[in-house]
Amino acid sequence: MEILTYTTQQHWTTWFAVYLFLGGMGAAVVATSFLTHMYLSEEKELVMWGAISGVIMMVVGSGMLFLHLLNPWAVFYIVSPYGVFHKPDSWIAWGSQFIVWIQITAILYALPYMVEKPRLLNWPIVGPILKLPIVIQIANFAKRIHGFLGWVGIITGIGTAVYTGLLLQSFPAVTLWHNPAVPILFTVSAFSTAMAWLLIIMYIFIYHRVDHTIRALYERIDLGLITAELIIIFSFFNFTLSGSESGYRSADMLWNDNGWLIGFILFGLIVPLLMELKCVFGTWSGKVPIVTASLLVLNGGFQLRAFFMAAGIYAYPW
Amino acid sequence: MAWHYPKLTRRGFMWATGGLAGLGLLKPLSLVREARAKVEEVEQEETVYSICNFCSSLCNIKATVVGKDKERRITKLDGNPNSTLNRGKMCARGQAGVRQVYDVDRIKTPLIRVEGSKRGEGKFRVATWEEAWNYIESKSKSAKIQPWEWTMVGGWTSCVFYMNWAVPFALSNGVPNIIASPMQHCVASGHLGTDSVTGNFNIHDEVLPDFDNANYILFIANNASIGAVSTSRMVRFATGRKRGARVVALDTRLSETAAKADEWIRIRPGTDLDFLIAVMQVMLEKGWYNADYVRNHTNLPFLTHRGDDGQWQLSVDQEGHPLAVDEMTGEIVALPSYSNKNSLDAKGRKIKPMLNAPEGLKVAGKPVLTVLQAQMDEIKDKTPETASHVTGIPATVIRRIAEEFSHAGRPIIDPGWHGARYGNINMLRRTQAMLQTLVGGIDTKGGWIMAAEYRHKIANWHKAKAEGKAMPGPLMTTMAGVPFVGELIKALSNPDTFPHKHPAWSFVFAAQERAAGREGVAVPALADTGFREAVEGKVSLNGQPYLARAILINAANPVRHYYPDSNWKAILSHENMELVVVVDVLPSDTVPYADVVLPNPTYLERDEPTLYGNGVNHDLALVTRFRAIDPLYDTMETPDILLKMSQIISGTDENFHKMLEALSGIPGEATRVAFEKYKSAGVNSPFSRACRDTSFSSTAERIHVPVDKLMSTLKETGIFFEEHREELMHGHSMPRDMAVPTTSGRLEFFGTLFQWLQSMGGRGPSFNVLASTIPAQCRELKSMVDALEENEFYFTYGKTPTVSYGSTNSNNPVIAAINRFKKDIYTGIWIHPDRAKVLNIKTGDLIRLTNIRSGQQANGTAYVTAQLHPDSLFMHSSFGVENKALRLSSGIGTATNKLIPNWVEPMVAGFRSQEFTIRIDKI
Amino acid sequence: MTHYAMVIDLTTCVGCNACMAACSLENQTPVWADHWRTYVHDREVGDTTGVQRRFIPRLCNHCDNPPCMSVCPSGATHKTPEGVVLVEPSLCMGCGACAMACPYDARYPATAKDIQKGKEYYGRLHRNSPSMDKCSFCYHRLQKGGEPACVQTCVGYARIFGDLDQPDSPVTALVRSGKARPLMAHLGTRPNVYYIPEK
Ligand SMILES: Nc1nc2c(c(=O)[nH]1)N[C@H]1C(S)=C(S)[C@@H](COP(=O)(O)OP(=O)(O)OC[C@H]3O[C@@H](n4cnc5c(=O)[nH]c(N)nc54)[C@H](O)[C@@H]3O)O[C@H]1N2
Ligand SMILES: Nc1nc2c(c(=O)[nH]1)N[C@H]1C(S)=C(S)[C@@H](COP(=O)(O)OP(=O)(O)OC[C@H]3O[C@@H](n4cnc5c(=O)[nH]c(N)nc54)[C@H](O)[C@@H]3O)O[C@H]1N2
Ligand code: SF4
Ligand code: SF4
Ligand code: SF4
Ligand code: SF4
Ligand code: SF4
Ligand SMILES: [Mo]
Repeated sequence: MEILTYTTQQHWTTWFAVYLFLGGMGAAVVATSFLTHMYLSEEKELVMWGAISGVIMMVVGSGMLFLHLLNPWAVFYIVSPYGVFHKPDSWIAWGSQFIVWIQITAILYALPYMVEKPRLLNWPIVGPILKLPIVIQIANFAKRIHGFLGWVGIITGIGTAVYTGLLLQSFPAVTLWHNPAVPILFTVSAFSTAMAWLLIIMYIFIYHRVDHTIRALYERIDLGLITAELIIIFSFFNFTLSGSESGYRSADMLWNDNGWLIGFILFGLIVPLLMELKCVFGTWSGKVPIVTASLLVLNGGFQLRAFFMAAGIYAYPW
Repeated sequence: MAWHYPKLTRRGFMWATGGLAGLGLLKPLSLVREARAKVEEVEQEETVYSICNFCSSLCNIKATVVGKDKERRITKLDGNPNSTLNRGKMCARGQAGVRQVYDVDRIKTPLIRVEGSKRGEGKFRVATWEEAWNYIESKSKSAKIQPWEWTMVGGWTSCVFYMNWAVPFALSNGVPNIIASPMQHCVASGHLGTDSVTGNFNIHDEVLPDFDNANYILFIANNASIGAVSTSRMVRFATGRKRGARVVALDTRLSETAAKADEWIRIRPGTDLDFLIAVMQVMLEKGWYNADYVRNHTNLPFLTHRGDDGQWQLSVDQEGHPLAVDEMTGEIVALPSYSNKNSLDAKGRKIKPMLNAPEGLKVAGKPVLTVLQAQMDEIKDKTPETASHVTGIPATVIRRIAEEFSHAGRPIIDPGWHGARYGNINMLRRTQAMLQTLVGGIDTKGGWIMAAEYRHKIANWHKAKAEGKAMPGPLMTTMAGVPFVGELIKALSNPDTFPHKHPAWSFVFAAQERAAGREGVAVPALADTGFREAVEGKVSLNGQPYLARAILINAANPVRHYYPDSNWKAILSHENMELVVVVDVLPSDTVPYADVVLPNPTYLERDEPTLYGNGVNHDLALVTRFRAIDPLYDTMETPDILLKMSQIISGTDENFHKMLEALSGIPGEATRVAFEKYKSAGVNSPFSRACRDTSFSSTAERIHVPVDKLMSTLKETGIFFEEHREELMHGHSMPRDMAVPTTSGRLEFFGTLFQWLQSMGGRGPSFNVLASTIPAQCRELKSMVDALEENEFYFTYGKTPTVSYGSTNSNNPVIAAINRFKKDIYTGIWIHPDRAKVLNIKTGDLIRLTNIRSGQQANGTAYVTAQLHPDSLFMHSSFGVENKALRLSSGIGTATNKLIPNWVEPMVAGFRSQEFTIRIDKI
Repeated sequence: MTHYAMVIDLTTCVGCNACMAACSLENQTPVWADHWRTYVHDREVGDTTGVQRRFIPRLCNHCDNPPCMSVCPSGATHKTPEGVVLVEPSLCMGCGACAMACPYDARYPATAKDIQKGKEYYGRLHRNSPSMDKCSFCYHRLQKGGEPACVQTCVGYARIFGDLDQPDSPVTALVRSGKARPLMAHLGTRPNVYYIPEK
């Protein structure tokens, strides 16, 4: 049976890349802001905006998935904690738990700061809710278990980011996906985009001089992450070049595509890397270069996932 | 094969579902399953047996029905597992058949053409049966339509299931004109060739090769008849192949059947006869044949000489006995005129006829040869080397095939089915029968085996003859073989059959053509040749115009199925045509041309009016249809329609009843009584129902079985087995034990049938009493080997596995979906890449096809594939539906009958449907 | 124990599609949307000198190690004790992960629209919630002692069904002898559909 058909799938298309991107980034944003808050700075604004934006990202991302479900009602079976007992071998089951719990945790963790934030209290809908006695009570409770919540957030956050990769990794027919580097790549990319996002927040929305050390740290970490990402991507290139026709065709597809080469590799990784290098070690200062680099990183993060979804080649034996 | 992880999961899963079920967090799977099981329990399933209606393979089927009364619904069809014919299997057409019943495009009530609209526009108003009958009646009165001015058209289903009504209908009402849709395309020309050797002829085939037990199978232009699909043949073929039979397929393209062959011989179109004559030449020359068999059971040892006209004649004694040379005495001996064997002479003495007469032998002063010698002489220069040039197949391959075939032990050359394409098709099929005869493979295990019903009829016929009777019983139900067709042809061609002295217009037209010095068809029985002329007033009988002015079309679709479509459109639209009545279940391409459309119930809604034999099955069995559900719409069955039409045409159904009894053995009085009973009880189609009652009783009587037993067996199993193949063949193998219904009772190499056809006016190479080559004439003045123009191709076609003919079942949603899945292959025009490249044509390109001979044109979509002979293009003959009322299939693909001209061969008016070339232009 | 398996004999499959028709009617698949539980491909291989036409039926392989099942978060995809991999529509949310995981392209979505249309089309539908769908080895028929619809109708006896745990089952010898081989065994899916290759 030497006849083989090489083809891509039509089940999970661009919308799924959005889910992977926003889900991974949102979770990493929450985890990163928690870590920052717990060990580096008492900065309430950062953790609050990190949590809120992270949750929004995850809501939008999961919403994408939800909208594409054939039978959305049945989602109940997997968002209930029972799901993982039920299907411990399913990464989606775990991922669903992570993504549910990290959102709850993020809100809880940020709640004590939110109920104190005048700007929020004046918002329509949100304001009145935040003023509810029960919400205040929950906020107080959350404050008491802040450390615990923090760790839950960090673990589920990392879990979510890893899961976005593990998910693809569990599809054995596609060489590009079915390898241990995918979860690593997606985790690295998730945290890199999270850094970028938090930098944007810190440069544009809550620019506090004192945060300078955090910003510098983030920039450095991001440099490292982008470098790691580049290394992983190039080892992918090598990995897919031989060993299986499916992989080779994925490589063929990606590395002959200007979108991938220029849109992702160049402007999603190399250019921001150089820009950040110049910011960190060089002469550039001010918001513009670093915000630009961050935006490029965000765009790159999405490109990566979109291209990865598109270039997954199935080898069917007919 | 233990694999731990999933097991662990399963256990975990069970625990979880069980343990947490009470929390109501999740519907446990087991509960879901239980709920489902309950639903299924309530839905009682019922099995109803029937017969498939999508091709003349006539598979036995069972329908699964659920629900009660009005809610009854057919959910699934399967092959009847009790059937030894199709062995519980069904092809895609049969499987999808249930969707015909529920086709939303069905004809649901009688329809009458809207006043002021033209035929072909397809504007109809819904009518009651009362209105429809009134319309027909008043039109036939006002236009004074005479019985002979009527023409009946029937497709294969009307033929198989209602012939016993249709023929008596025609004869009792004085209608001499019957066009049987399958004849010219399918049955007549090709079968006539086979039948000239074996004397066979049954309405829908009489031979089912025993592929099960064969060890070599040679297919000549077969596909839909085997692997694409005739289920009864396919299941046997698959079994034989699995048992290790070697398979060789001659086809111009890599058909489904050829794809399963060990060897595909990609022959140039139209040249198969050259191939097979060369095979025969080798076999005769090398003596690679079963000498004892042919000596004893064929007319090969008969002596023959050239008559005064130079034609071969059989040498006979004064009493008309054929002659042979006895090897034991060296004397010329007289053989019995009619016998299955040559081992006894006319006086009953034991002899051993020589296959090769001594040189210089003379009878009555004329040099004589045996038929074998004459045949060898006829084709002595038709060697594999000559054939190689024509066919494009190396001589070594042809020799090898001759050797393999003759040495295989139990070889089969399939008789072939579709019988049109080239003027030489008759000779081709005849040669196939001769080759099978040469290896002694007629009616033997691992060879051709006669259908049980056919064998049974012939045996009874012999018995009747021995008892001094002309016929064993009513013509329609007991006669078979060439003698049966002979009777039918006599009735339709003889002016004295009817008091009005009109034979069929086709015969009148043929005689008129011959009188004008043109080629008239020798036996235009059941053919459409001359129809258009008759409608246009160009046929005259005894100086009077013989007009065709009214037509009843039942279960036939001539606008799509005849060549070309424009011919039938012209016929049906002609101003002389006063009345067009069409009976159908779906809006075929013919339906828009009707004045009145009468809806039939579909096959699954019918209890048929009688019992039927089991098609080509080797086992003798009776089958019938049981209705799976009550008719969904306001429909009427064919016997009731014919009864009513009799009343309209003749003013009474008196004669119809009489003729039914005489020809089909349907007891007149008892049927009438039952009819009245059912009519007053308000039963739908009461006449059909009445006929069923009486047919069951008379059949039960004939086979000596209580009628309840017959009925209950059929009801419970779908099949009433009478006798199995082994018992039947025992003592009744043809011609080993029993004469075949040829003129001589032997298998005939010297074709006496062609002498008769010559007497009917036949001239030309097709009427040769011996086998030889006849070149296909695809181009004027050019042979098949002369180079084609760069954009010129031979035209070939074949059937799609999923579609019946060019029929309405392409509208079946399941079939339509499969056809979408295989779009390029099924609906494209196949072109070889070497040719396509030169013309810069790619798969999917729109192309125009022009028939170079006739100028006809059609558009199509190219499918570039290496799976065909580069000289040819190929298309499936299943598509090109025009009627928009067939919503799923109209507008898809190209119609063959836009390209095929009206050109018939001179024996029985078979269509020369591939004898031209096509020019391709990219558009 | 019972361990169901199918052997597909490519030497006698004629690409007639009877199995597709039978399956779609038995299992009420959305043919209008061009979704089937089984397909028979018709492939041309070789060049103009040695061209061949191959028919390849395919369906769910009922893998012993089914990636579609391990990814399924809801447990809708499960395996019966006889080794049949099933989807329980009422549990399935239709995320499509299983379809992505399946190396044999065995799954398709049955959407809410398909359910609606199916009700009109089939009169009564065996199911009422949308889900991923795929070949079930006709489990409902097996439970009643029957064979799958596609096997039952296959005019070429190309689909052979049986129980690998029964020594005299028609599939056992074919599989044991190595005459029939699974597709893409290197993926570790351990399929239960085997193919007898053409010569
Ligand atoms: N284009 C084209 N023409 C062909 C062929 C081809 O392949 N393509 N094949 C040729 C051959 S070999 C043959 S044998 C002939 C066969 O030609 P037909 O015998 O005419 O074949 P069918 O298409 O089965 O039947 C014709 C009509 O019968 C209708 N019908 C189906 N079931 C019923 C029923 O229960 N009652 C009634 N009253 N009508 C019903 C169908 O809707 C259709 O309109 O066609 C020949 N002509
Ligand atoms: N699917 C399907 N099956 C059917 C039917 C149906 O309507 N649909 N109808 C039944 C009936 S009534 C009939 S008559 C039979 C017909 O069954 P067949 O006689 O087998 O008819 P086709 O499939 O039309 O043609 C057979 C093959 O002939 C090839 N061919 C064309 N020209 C030539 C040539 O010059 N030389 C050679 N060697 N090959 C050539 C074609 O490529 C095709 O593959 O099918 C029966 N079975
Ligand atoms: S071969 Fe197919 S269409 Fe013909 S009778 Fe059998 S099941 Fe019906
Ligand atoms: S029914 Fe059998 S022979 Fe026909 S396509 Fe399906 S597997 Fe092949
Ligand atoms: S689509 Fe259904 S069966 Fe498939 S993985 Fe999702 S929940 Fe499971
Ligand atoms: S073939 Fe695909 S759907 Fe079927 S069990 Fe294997 S992985 Fe699952
Ligand atoms: S086993 Fe049943 S569900 Fe699976 S392909 Fe065959 S008929 Fe369809
Ligand atoms: Mo036919």
